[in-house]
Amino acid sequence: MQDWGSGPSNDDLEKKVIEIRDYFKNKFNPQKGLLPILVIVALIVIGAYTSMYEVDTEETGVVLRFGKFSGFSEPGLHFKLPLGIDRVYLVQTGRVLKEEFGFRTVTPDVRSTFTKRGLEEESLTLTGDLNVSDVEWIVQFQVADPFKFIFRIKDPVGTIRDISEAMVRKTIGNANVTEVLTTERAQLASEIQRDLQDTLNQYDIGVRIVTVKFQDVTPPDPVKAAYNEVNESEQQRESLIFQAREQFNREVPRARGEAKKVLQEAEGYAVERVNKARGETNRFLALLTEYRKAPSVTRSRIYLETLEEVLPRLEEVYVMDDKTGGLLPLLPLRKSMEGGAK
Amino acid sequence: MKAPVIFFVVIALIFVGMDGLYVVNEAEQAIVTQFGKPVGDVIDSGLHLKIPFVQKVTRFEKRILKWDGDPNQIPTKDKRFIWIDTTARWRIKDPLLFYTTVATERGAMSRLDDIIDSVVRDAVSGRLLVELVRGSDYEAQEDSGEERFEVEGVVIAKENLVGREEIMAGILEKARANTPDYGIELLDVQIKRINYVEQVRTRVYERMINERKKVAAQYRSEGEGEKADILGQMERELKEISSEAYRKVLEVRGAADAEAAAIYAEAYNQDKEFYAFLRTLESYKKSIKENGRLVISTDSDYYRYLKQAK
Repeated sequence: MQDWGSGPSNDDLEKKVIEIRDYFKNKFNPQKGLLPILVIVALIVIGAYTSMYEVDTEETGVVLRFGKFSGFSEPGLHFKLPLGIDRVYLVQTGRVLKEEFGFRTVTPDVRSTFTKRGLEEESLTLTGDLNVSDVEWIVQFQVADPFKFIFRIKDPVGTIRDISEAMVRKTIGNANVTEVLTTERAQLASEIQRDLQDTLNQYDIGVRIVTVKFQDVTPPDPVKAAYNEVNESEQQRESLIFQAREQFNREVPRARGEAKKVLQEAEGYAVERVNKARGETNRFLALLTEYRKAPSVTRSRIYLETLEEVLPRLEEVYVMDDKTGGLLPLLPLRKSMEGGAK
Repeated sequence: MKAPVIFFVVIALIFVGMDGLYVVNEAEQAIVTQFGKPVGDVIDSGLHLKIPFVQKVTRFEKRILKWDGDPNQIPTKDKRFIWIDTTARWRIKDPLLFYTTVATERGAMSRLDDIIDSVVRDAVSGRLLVELVRGSDYEAQEDSGEERFEVEGVVIAKENLVGREEIMAGILEKARANTPDYGIELLDVQIKRINYVEQVRTRVYERMINERKKVAAQYRSEGEGEKADILGQMERELKEISSEAYRKVLEVRGAADAEAAAIYAEAYNQDKEFYAFLRTLESYKKSIKENGRLVISTDSDYYRYLKQAK
């Protein structure tokens, strides 16, 4: 309503008042007066609406006036010339954008779900030793120059994708499969990042590569089992060695202990043997001393003592005479004793 | 009567004026033709004037454009079939020439198809697969052994191989030679994907599997070997320990026996006869058991002593 007052001049206003009066007088012809007003109001509203635009926090506006670049606009509310004189292109400069290769995030969440369906062509990569590896990676980039990003190249994201793939294949193709799968992932990724940035700089399209990161880098599915087998066999090797060491550690110290035991026993034997010898000889010597004092008596005594001990055990005693060659039964001791007993 | 006439004149003038003005966007470049004949220079972005109705504006992309080749199945020089997927960047350098020779982007694309595809095909079929895959500074793995490259019985020396970079540079150079004829500047050609065709891939997988199996077998036999080694060491050690113990035991016992013998000898030597007497009786005691029979010879010691006793 306020627009009305500021818009038309006094004469127009008078005219309009008359028109409005006419309109009320002649209700059968209502359009004649109201239509221009509605058109004007609509134009003003459209004009005001089309000359305002908003730039979001993470965006930068690129303003073209009559098709020619006239400046950037920062986040906030801005005015521009309407009717297509100024055109604004909004580019997400603040945000780090991500492209995925060899897989796609289906639903990003705490536990995201991914798909690999139909992306083998993208992820299967030849290595320098002509093996195949299944490589998944991401590229994060940021728009460094929004003007170049949209006006230096058509389809900048497609180009980033293409060049990423080319550089990954180039770098992986220059490495060997074991390096790709294990040791040099980080180094390869930074090499790719450098190459990618260099190539994009040649196009001068205002893109800054934030990072290139490998995700899953695996052998292709049909080969995975064989790779696992290698890991297993490595484990087996370790466990075989471990077992052998264990057996070694179990048996050798025991053998040492046993050896010591045997040696101790031998030493025991030695001591025993010597002591025995000493004991026996000492006894003999003692006896000898006595014997020397009275040899024949002692001799007879010992002899008789022995016979006394031995003879009762015997059943028969025979004497063999070399000269006659016959057996002479000497003393059928037991028989006579037994006979006597009967 | 007068107002409507003026109104129509104004409308007509605006209409004509509008046709005399045109805007070229930052993404575009334009040429102006007058009855089909090009007039003036290439028009850059901004607001421009032309003669209404007589002159016509044709716009072209100024930005870098993408060309994406169809993945192609090409045999390399060493007769390996591979899929190769190339991509290229190009832009319209000379819109007028571009307009007259290929007219549209679509026309340009099909021309680029012809040029790049054939150049790539030549380059691929003239090279070994390793040359396409590896860079010139490729280093083989240390334990992989010497590689041999042979094409139809002819051995190719390793020094004669080129790297991927050179091949790509060659492709770009050759492809570039033709594109200026169409007002096109070719910025680069890249191999986006290179891979084995399906049946070759299966064979490669088989080879990879066999290689892995070989490594696995090696690990296993290494394990067995190491185990045998350790057990062997153990065996040796055990033998060493037990034999040394045996030796020492015998030495100790021997020494003890010797000492004992010396002691006995020294003592018994003092009266051999008495010792023999005692010892005879001793053994007599020991050897005669219950209910035994004793047979003695008349010239034995026993008998002698018996006789003496009598």
